[in-house]
Amino acid sequence: MKIHVYATLKDYFSSEFELATVAHNTDELKRHLVQLNDQAELLLNSCRFAVEEGFIDNDYKLKENDTVIIIPPASGG
Amino acid sequence: MIRSSSSLPPVEVSQSSSEAIQPPLEVFQVISAAPLDMVELLRRAHHPAAGAVVLFSGEVRDHNKGRAVDHLEYEAYQPLAVKMIHAILAEATAKWSLQSAIAQHRVGRLAIGESAVVVITAAAHRREAYEANRHIIDRIKHEVPIWKCEYFHDGSHQWGNNCNC
Repeated sequence: MKIHVYATLKDYFSSEFELATVAHNTDELKRHLVQLNDQAELLLNSCRFAVEEGFIDNDYKLKENDTVIIIPPASGG
Repeated sequence: MIRSSSSLPPVEVSQSSSEAIQPPLEVFQVISAAPLDMVELLRRAHHPAAGAVVLFSGEVRDHNKGRAVDHLEYEAYQPLAVKMIHAILAEATAKWSLQSAIAQHRVGRLAIGESAVVVITAAAHRREAYEANRHIIDRIKHEVPIWKCEYFHDGSHQWGNNCNC
């Protein structure tokens, strides 16, 4: 599963990387990411997740070939 | 930038007698790596049925919370950001019966004084134009996946969290 992160998340992870473990939903994905960098836990809890052009929640069943976009709180304008 | 009516994809607001002076429908960029051309955006917002046109420009300040800012960088998750801005413009167009609703946001490196985002609303009367404009910029700032990184004079940088402007 491919992961793309943006903005301040790039202070904690590479902007694009492959997650070796399969996460079946966003809660599982968060746990895997916290294992990679536990400093990011607080931030990850305020992030939204998206696949392609749509936000997903924890009910969305992630697939191995999904590219998951992790979206920190917006700060445009 | 788009000109949007109440449905997606954006379509030209219907007109009757004034049709001849309207520009043709175009699909505008809502995210731009190039400097925002406010004069051109404003030109496109004019509409014969609109008695009020409001333009908001969010510009790069030279300071934030007591620190001297050197420049900013913006990045966006464009597939979603474009879709969301189109939807926000369409909703506002329907809610306030706007004749024009335009938004364009910069990405990349911006110098002090440059415009980071422009929102233009045109309506029959000023109340609708002002209210819709504020609604659109607030939603863009809070909801759309666009992020600001401030670079300070001391060489440090900081990603923005929630909107503080």
